[in-house]
Amino acid sequence: MADETGRSGAFSRRGLLQGGALALAAPALMRRAWAQGAGPIRIGFPVPLTGAFGAEANDQVRAAQIAVKEFNAAGGLDGRMAELLVRDDKLNPGEAATRTLELIEKDKVNFLVGALSAAVTLSVNNVARERGVLYNSISQSDAINEAKDFGRTTFHEALNPHMTAGAVGRYVFPKHGKRVAFLTADYAYGHEMVRGFRRAGEALGIEVVADIRHPIGASDYSAFLPRLAALKPDVLCLCNFGRDQVVSIQQATEFGLKRTTKLVAPVLLFTARKAGGDAFEGVVGGTSYYWRLEDSVPTAKAFNDAFRAAYNGAVPSDYGALGYAGVRSVLESVKAAKSTDTDKVIAAMEALRADFYKGPQYFRACDHQSVQSVLIVESKHKDQKGPDDVFTIVGTEQPDEARLRTCAELGHKA
Amino acid sequence: MSGALTAPAARGGTGRGGRLLRQAARHRVGLTLAVLALFPFVAPYEALAVNILVLGLYALGFNLLFGYTGLLSFGHAAFLGAGAYGTGIAIVHGGLHPLPAIAAGVVLATVIAAVMGFLAIRTRGIYFAMTTLALSMCVYYAFYQMEPLTGGENGLRGINVPALNLGLVSLPLIDPLVKYYVILVFVGTAVWLFSRLLASPFGAVLEAIRENENRARACGYDVARTKLVAFVISGAVCGLAGALNAIHLSIVPIETMHYAMSGEAVMMALLGGMRTFFGPFVGAATFLVLQDGLATLTSHWQLFTGAIFIAFVLFLPSGIWGEVVARLKRAGS
Repeated sequence: MADETGRSGAFSRRGLLQGGALALAAPALMRRAWAQGAGPIRIGFPVPLTGAFGAEANDQVRAAQIAVKEFNAAGGLDGRMAELLVRDDKLNPGEAATRTLELIEKDKVNFLVGALSAAVTLSVNNVARERGVLYNSISQSDAINEAKDFGRTTFHEALNPHMTAGAVGRYVFPKHGKRVAFLTADYAYGHEMVRGFRRAGEALGIEVVADIRHPIGASDYSAFLPRLAALKPDVLCLCNFGRDQVVSIQQATEFGLKRTTKLVAPVLLFTARKAGGDAFEGVVGGTSYYWRLEDSVPTAKAFNDAFRAAYNGAVPSDYGALGYAGVRSVLESVKAAKSTDTDKVIAAMEALRADFYKGPQYFRACDHQSVQSVLIVESKHKDQKGPDDVFTIVGTEQPDEARLRTCAELGHKA
Repeated sequence: MSGALTAPAARGGTGRGGRLLRQAARHRVGLTLAVLALFPFVAPYEALAVNILVLGLYALGFNLLFGYTGLLSFGHAAFLGAGAYGTGIAIVHGGLHPLPAIAAGVVLATVIAAVMGFLAIRTRGIYFAMTTLALSMCVYYAFYQMEPLTGGENGLRGINVPALNLGLVSLPLIDPLVKYYVILVFVGTAVWLFSRLLASPFGAVLEAIRENENRARACGYDVARTKLVAFVISGAVCGLAGALNAIHLSIVPIETMHYAMSGEAVMMALLGGMRTFFGPFVGAATFLVLQDGLATLTSHWQLFTGAIFIAFVLFLPSGIWGEVVARLKRAGS
């Protein structure tokens, strides 16, 4: 012990400090060296493979792989291939932040795409924008458009609650009636949906007869249903998601609410509908994509065929399609920019006018929200031809910036 | 990691092993820090290393109550979360420098710990566990509902501290290795203070309460007050862990306060060895590396971590580090 302290005392302090400074700077120097190299184009893809949305997340991965495969088959970026680095974010924002740090710091990804919950996507976005890494979000969120969370590197491929609820409201209210009730999961996403409906309804002169909030993850809705039945609204908007949506629709159906009231779920998911079964009959909702779009849109047909060929005839789900679009938007922009440099790719993405799988779409300049169509679907029941034939597309709201909240409202400077 | 510490002692034979162990016990803070200083080079990636550091500190703070005082709390996520939110809110809404922001987080956690401790300390055993659980859920919902401040379900974002400005120097926290060592300075200080506390007469009273509360009372110690002080210190340490976590991740998810997080503290302390000083860090490292590695391999990682945890409880009830220390002692005697 004694000699050791003696020796370290003799050790030059300046040398130690210089060495230490070099050791601390080494990772930064190495990273710079790496970034200039021409390895594969790496896309980090954090999604909740485990947790409540595991099925949707796996579909996102499968669809994203197709976008990567197509890019590589077409020769990549002058022979530079793309690869997808999938990470399980466990539907936990903290885990997602850790995984995003791993993807950026250890795996040195060029871009990030992914996430499937508002909280997780905001967390990935915060980590990515602080480090100047381009992130294309494929999860619904209103907050990600707002100036507070937006960064120059932030893109939002998915719909947002405002667009979806607005489109559904504009379809449903004139057709099914103006006396509207809300049953809302009490968290940001539910509130955003209600705001979207109310905004659309104001112009149409709706009357809100009830705005009931239930805790997220509730399993018993019998306390709310008698009140709703007594009010006899024309339309009941179920502003909840996932299992909450399935359970509340099942219980409302059992309660006989459908006799007097049209049930509306702003975001009606392909996977949730398949899991929920018969109870969904006649429920109207919005979605970003449904595979039967192939009947009218050629790019949807091409995407579905590629997906079917790769995965034994399965059709992609709505969130799956977003995985494809999210990755493809980035890779097409890389091709257009002829570079993986973040600034050049951002410029290319802002200029992108795409028709990848659902018709025309583009990123709005101020908040990088993808302006795209919203499909209104109604759930089938007895006339289903096969297990995947669950919806009829009853309306399409064409892409229109006027349907979004204005840039000024979101806090962006003009 | 444990190998680095045990190897020389295990080779040392009977007499020398015992002496080495005594030496190691005397320099436990130095040894802990030496291992932690080398850790980022062994860990799979830096962000995970920081997680282990932070959650190790969290488990250490929890263990003051669990391992040393013998009180099983199921509400420590409230302190982790309060520390994180306190710091996050101070930076995002108050625009404070990170250092006073960390202090704000620790103070908030301490205040909440004082209130919770005051109410919970009157109960014991399973009732203590249930009271702390219930109170921590109250704290959870309070923070969940304060959406303008905490972001509610979406979590608090924007705790961006790209560099720690210390007047003369500015440390680039955006560099993962620099961030690790900056956080290690905080953790190291806390570990040192913690060790001093345990070595003090106060630490001895804690263990006396754990072994026999009535006897400690008969010896004239104010058991209730000692428990409360231990509860508050434990909460403050967990609050510091939360504050560091907020700066590390740049976000505070509401999940930080969820009772599942309280359960993780119990798991990490048990896995590492609740009766040892270094055990919580070993537990945190094992737990997180295992979870990380398995999650990369399979989507059924929960099944495997569960099975491994059961195996540890059945076959290594004193925890990984507890077992290592016990073996060294046997070899040394």
